[in-house]
Amino acid sequence: MDQYFLIDSIQSIADGLLFGATYAMIGLGFTLIFGVMHKINLSYAAASIGGAYASLLILQGAAVPTPLIFLLAALSGGVIGLIVYFACFHFIPLANPLATLMSTVGMLLLIDEVIVHATDGMPLSYPPVLEDGSIFIGPFYFRGDLIVVFLLGCLCMLGLLWLLYRTRLGLATRAVAQQAVAAQLCGIRVTNVNAQVFVITGLLGGIAGAMIGAAVGVLSPLLALPLTVKGLIVTVIGGLGSIPGAIVAGLVVGGFENFFQFLRGVTERDLYVMLLLFAFLVFRPSGLFGSVQMRD
Amino acid sequence: MRRFFTCMLSAAALTAGLGLGFQCAPAKAEDRPVQVAGFGAMSGVVRVFGIGSEAAMKAAAEKINAAGGIKLGDGTTGKFEITYYDDRCNAEEGINVVRRIAATDAIIAVGPTCSNVAESLFGILQKKVGDSSDSGLQFPIIADVAAKGGLASISEWAFRNVPNEAEMYKALFEWVKKEYPDLKTFYGGFEKDFAHSNATYGVMKREAEANGYQLVGESEWLLNDTTFSNQVRDMRRANADIVAVSAHPFTTCGVLREMSRQGVKPKLLIGLTSSSSIETVKGCGQQAEGLIIPTGFAPVNPEAIEAAEAIVAKGGNADLHSAAAYEIMFILKDVIEQQGIIGKPETLEEDRKKMREGLAALKETKGLLGPVARTPDREAVKPFVFVQAKNNNWEVRHNPGS
Amino acid sequence: MDFYYGLIQIIGIHTLLGLSAYCVLLTGQVSLAQAGFFAIGAYAAGMLTAMAGWSIIPALAVGGLLSGAIACAVGFPALRVKGLMLVVATTAFGEAVRLFFFNLNYKINRGELLVGPSGAEGFRQIRYFQENGWSITDVLLFIWAIVVVVMALLWWMDRSRAGAVLRAVGEDELAAQSSGINITAVKVIAMTVGGVIAGVGGGLYAHYTTHIEHVQFGVVLATFAIAYPILGGLSSVFGTLAAVIFIQGFLIEGLRFLGDWRNLLFGALIVLVMNVRPRGLFDARTARMLRRLFVRQEEKRDARTGVA
Repeated sequence: MDQYFLIDSIQSIADGLLFGATYAMIGLGFTLIFGVMHKINLSYAAASIGGAYASLLILQGAAVPTPLIFLLAALSGGVIGLIVYFACFHFIPLANPLATLMSTVGMLLLIDEVIVHATDGMPLSYPPVLEDGSIFIGPFYFRGDLIVVFLLGCLCMLGLLWLLYRTRLGLATRAVAQQAVAAQLCGIRVTNVNAQVFVITGLLGGIAGAMIGAAVGVLSPLLALPLTVKGLIVTVIGGLGSIPGAIVAGLVVGGFENFFQFLRGVTERDLYVMLLLFAFLVFRPSGLFGSVQMRD
Repeated sequence: MRRFFTCMLSAAALTAGLGLGFQCAPAKAEDRPVQVAGFGAMSGVVRVFGIGSEAAMKAAAEKINAAGGIKLGDGTTGKFEITYYDDRCNAEEGINVVRRIAATDAIIAVGPTCSNVAESLFGILQKKVGDSSDSGLQFPIIADVAAKGGLASISEWAFRNVPNEAEMYKALFEWVKKEYPDLKTFYGGFEKDFAHSNATYGVMKREAEANGYQLVGESEWLLNDTTFSNQVRDMRRANADIVAVSAHPFTTCGVLREMSRQGVKPKLLIGLTSSSSIETVKGCGQQAEGLIIPTGFAPVNPEAIEAAEAIVAKGGNADLHSAAAYEIMFILKDVIEQQGIIGKPETLEEDRKKMREGLAALKETKGLLGPVARTPDREAVKPFVFVQAKNNNWEVRHNPGS
Repeated sequence: MDFYYGLIQIIGIHTLLGLSAYCVLLTGQVSLAQAGFFAIGAYAAGMLTAMAGWSIIPALAVGGLLSGAIACAVGFPALRVKGLMLVVATTAFGEAVRLFFFNLNYKINRGELLVGPSGAEGFRQIRYFQENGWSITDVLLFIWAIVVVVMALLWWMDRSRAGAVLRAVGEDELAAQSSGINITAVKVIAMTVGGVIAGVGGGLYAHYTTHIEHVQFGVVLATFAIAYPILGGLSSVFGTLAAVIFIQGFLIEGLRFLGDWRNLLFGALIVLVMNVRPRGLFDARTARMLRRLFVRQEEKRDARTGVA
């Protein structure tokens, strides 16, 4: 099939880039938590999928327009985010990052089990963003629904940037992340700020979970763990704390992954993603857009 | 160093105080309880099968007990008492659970759900009966769900009542040849990292080619993959008449959705036995329309319908896996009566040996769809039907037994 | 009794896994690669006993040394990254190891059977203990002999200068470096020792379960590996042991009577424990209290008031 090689390569990269929009959405929340707040929250991907599940379970199959389901997913994500904050971060002293890490692991296990118990582990069908979104241009094929996800991701990115750099909450968040004691001295209420940011990342996570459900077509407990690993990789490649970096890195990882799957098959694909990560860690530890700082 | 050893002793004492929770069998005056333990996955994506197995075992036990119980070797009537344990689809826990069961009065354990647990579990059993140099566990286990090929051959104490996929797909492709004579080519897709799907795909390919179908291409993916555009693109280009998907519901739905997105409509879709459950029609009923799968259970006769209702009444789904557990209880009743098992705590070791002997000696057992042949390597050859997804439900398309 | 012995065996194996992560955590590195070293030890020891017919002790030793060597090689590039980046890098390494074993297909004929790792199907028939007539008690004593030796070595190291050096690097690298400690050497040594312990633990694990496959050595096992020392507290090796007993003995087996609720409580109790005791079950204060219970003759004088 040599005549098809060029077309297939371009198609694979395009497909990968488009699916990478979902990684980008998860990466946005991860990079905000890890990069801006310097807190490791391993339960983030599970909470996002949990938000998507909640949107289905709350409605119990009632016929509701799709955008409303997505909105409900976002709101559920926000609520879960707040719960995660109180369960894992509020009461543990700042000087114990390992304890917060471990408690988020516990939270991840808990959210996974709640999902499994509520659905008996079975996959749930999730409404797509666009019913008939396939676009055929010449020999190429594009998933219209993923283009919408990408645009939504860009919208979220702009929203986050506006939030971080143009609002008081954003200013307070950056202040708390840089120097919590000094921020407190300036009259910023640290716990309030942290809780609010967790709610916002939770909202973002809920939307991401909904988009992933819509892109894949079904929700399953199998989604949470691989998404956590992908989210971490995207955060590191994009640069800790860089919001445009998360979007670009999500697309890059998606494209790279699918292209190497086309070249070398499904068993070696993930090895190449790891190699990409190692290459970044060795040659450019600050990621694509991160500022050049060696401290984590 | 004294402190070191005192700490070790306290730790030992702590451990001894934990891990409790044995079930004590209440002694009844007239009927003797016959303890049978079940175990399987009550956690994770296969939780529905653990629930189904438990429901089926309890439903069957209830039916047997209500119909007069079991005739034990010393003349008393025995009534089944079922305890179900969760192994969380985890090999270490499976081993712990079976050791725990072996320490109770249970004469046999029914399970596991997951093939990887069965691999480890059958590995710790004594390989050949009577081999005194082998310190493996001497306890019979009969599997209801773990479907990976060839597992029972690992140990003589291991038995299975799961469908023989080679037979099923052989019959399926023969039937397809008669029913759809114009189909010539076929394309295969399978989960590469899941042993069961991988192995069954080999079976599908072999049987299809034996019936004269031409393989025009193959695609692979992994168990939790979420995007299939590359694979379906190859499928589209190959434009085969038949597409066979050897994968579990999550990825099967993913592939079917991508196929509908890219406009791939083969003349016939064939699936993996494990996907003939409620998950597939619930997850992607619309895209799965027309999918044909050979399965070990469908409510096609009064007995099967009754069993299905009983299982559902106990909170499980009636599918090929839970039906296997249901059938096992009746097999156990027959073996107990044939071997004259007594069921007293004193005769426990003897009873377990007799259980093993009895199961090994069986040539045929009663299945819900018809008689089940038993092979010398302790597997089962079960009757089957072909079901087809129609309107978000499974309908029987062809019953070879009728 | 067999069940208890089996439980104690698995506690021993998981303690080794936890101790390997403990070593590395002492130097302040959160390493999710311990499951990868565990896998290397498992496959190596399994292949040596099941395919090459070696005896168990040399097989375990080779498995441990191989894991240690690879850990040493991983330790150097790991130095370039800290914090979250190290978490991600070690996760990626662990996944890479798992994917390597996913692709490993090497079988030979032993008698009538084909033995060896076969990719996704895993590696079955690692039955050294059963084939050589080891009883459950024999295996138990063997595993725990190794665990006790490892714990004793680590405990002794903790009480010596080496332990102080490790903890110094963990607490504040800049200060440690200013005191003349070679950070690179310390971190790589900690990683290597952790790798050896994980390799030996992996070898024992393979012989315990008789069948290993790539899925078992994923991110979940790596998370358990660091969960043990974090939950147990980094002040003493007994913390890790206590955490293993807590998780394997209490949460997994002890709570069985709760049926379905057990799985839900698992995550919830971890969150609770971390909130109530952020420094771990067995932190420095608890260690001191227990010491006072066992060692009565030392009278401690309060430094401020001079009262005993």
